Amino acid sequence: MVLDAFQKRRERQMLTLLLPALIPLAILTIYPALYAVYLSMTNEALTGVAAAKPRFVGAANYFRLFSDGRFWNSLFVTFVFVVGSAIIGQFVLGFISAVALRRKVYGSSVFGAAILLPNAAPEVVAGFMWISMLAGGDHATLSKIMIALGLPWVDWLNTFPLFMVTMVNTWRGIGTAMILLTAGLSAVPSEVYEAARMDGANPRQMFLRITLPLMAPTIFLYMLISTVSTISVFGMVYALTRGGPGNRTEVISVYIYNQSFTAFQLGYGAAGAVVALLVSLVLGITYVRSLKVNV
Amino acid sequence: MAGVPLKRSGAYTFLAYVTLIVISIFCLLPFVWMVLASLDSNAQLFLKWPDSITFDHYIKLFAEENGVRWFANSLFTVLSATIIVVIISGLGGYALSRSRAWWKQPFLYAILLIRVLPSTALLVPLYKILLTANNGMGSLLRPFVGDNYRSVMQVFGFIDGYLGLIVVLATGQLPLALWIMKVFFDGVPKDYEEAAILDGATLVQRIRRVLIPLALPGLAAAGLFTFMSAWGDFLLPLILLSSPELQTLPIGLFRAFLRVNEIDYGLLAAIATIYLIPAVIAFSFARRFLVQTFSGGVKG
Repeated sequence: MVLDAFQKRRERQMLTLLLPALIPLAILTIYPALYAVYLSMTNEALTGVAAAKPRFVGAANYFRLFSDGRFWNSLFVTFVFVVGSAIIGQFVLGFISAVALRRKVYGSSVFGAAILLPNAAPEVVAGFMWISMLAGGDHATLSKIMIALGLPWVDWLNTFPLFMVTMVNTWRGIGTAMILLTAGLSAVPSEVYEAARMDGANPRQMFLRITLPLMAPTIFLYMLISTVSTISVFGMVYALTRGGPGNRTEVISVYIYNQSFTAFQLGYGAAGAVVALLVSLVLGITYVRSLKVNV
Repeated sequence: MAGVPLKRSGAYTFLAYVTLIVISIFCLLPFVWMVLASLDSNAQLFLKWPDSITFDHYIKLFAEENGVRWFANSLFTVLSATIIVVIISGLGGYALSRSRAWWKQPFLYAILLIRVLPSTALLVPLYKILLTANNGMGSLLRPFVGDNYRSVMQVFGFIDGYLGLIVVLATGQLPLALWIMKVFFDGVPKDYEEAAILDGATLVQRIRRVLIPLALPGLAAAGLFTFMSAWGDFLLPLILLSSPELQTLPIGLFRAFLRVNEIDYGLLAAIATIYLIPAVIAFSFARRFLVQTFSGGVKG
């Protein structure tokens, strides 16, 4: 009985310690998420009649959203952007770098640092630096390199805008992928490789039959995380293309921003936001479940 | 590499070098342009060797363009947010690690899920909440400050004020920091605290004398990750700040770039370089924590 009272007091203390974290999270993340759902059912706006007297409009914003070609375009652009950079680009180049760095090469720490450097660059800096690489027609750095190699050049950001923002986002994430996959590679016990070698397996077989299957859980978690964080990329795309030319690089976060803060349609923008929230939540729940959080 | 013929092994090593060199050039080239352009007396949009080396762009940034102000604003808001996060997540992470109450598991799931919500999606409701809070703060302070109302609100306001940006930046980084601290305290044996309890130490004494010294490495990791992502954040200052006096580095860089008819690439490159340096320093320290935080955090 005495112990029970002690326990209770202890748990109360723990809750008190958690309170300073709980309050801002509740007010500034959970409440806004719920508020977004409410806003999406009103015609709230920053300017005009609706700004003074917002009305409840039910599902009207969602009907409009699902018949809006620009919204579907942004979903498609986001899909290409995420699959191209988080799932394919960063993963493949990160994996290749991790495997190459496992061999005994001179200057491996220099290579490692070089590949990691883009991870440190703030989103706006990344966008700005790549303008130099890609914008300006034959003046762009990439065009000059192509010309020097005797290859054709184009106006990169106008001809292949989506491919280019996907490539820039790939550039930003190779380092993280490399570090995490290096950790995964070192976790495969060397005895397994020894045994395979005794059985006469060649490097390719060892890679496909041992390395990949044993790393599958790491790879899966990595992809979930990078997918979720790529959906919320805003600054890099906004600084590099602002969603253009036309809407060709308008990822969902730029779409929401444009609807809410350029067109000032808060209610309508919130409907787009709710869709983005739901997609991220589904991915997040998958992530939490597969992590088998040991709490 | 016994078993693999020597010649093949050599070929693989060669391939590894080629791959690493190509990927490294891809990763470094934009930085090379930025640094060279920031020192070039005749900086251009494309990569070139400087006509002559000059520090004029940096001097112009700090002397004419309010660079000192932008840097100070960024540093002040981000460091304040980091300090708040370190304190709150240290306490909360300890509670999450030691508690056995029913709310522990739902709370841990909740912070992982909060972490995946895209910040653009929360922006509009967040803005409305801050607007309400700002009006409340305004009517609270107005009777006391009189003529200084505008400058006081630039500090304590929630919209276009330091306080609002700091609070929102801090909240955004809390989930990851809480998770880092929870995992960290899971690895700290309970013996020390129990010994302190037996000696009759109160909760506050235990925190000050026992837990803070033990938690320093964890707090460093949480602080570094908070600093890095708050430093790189562009969306929140873009929405929350409008006064030129409150401008931070990312917004200064972005707005300077929008002056289309008079783009000064040397100056832009200098701003970007100055903005990049603290991020690189923080990242080089944070690098060793990257793998441990992976399991719980979403890279930002």
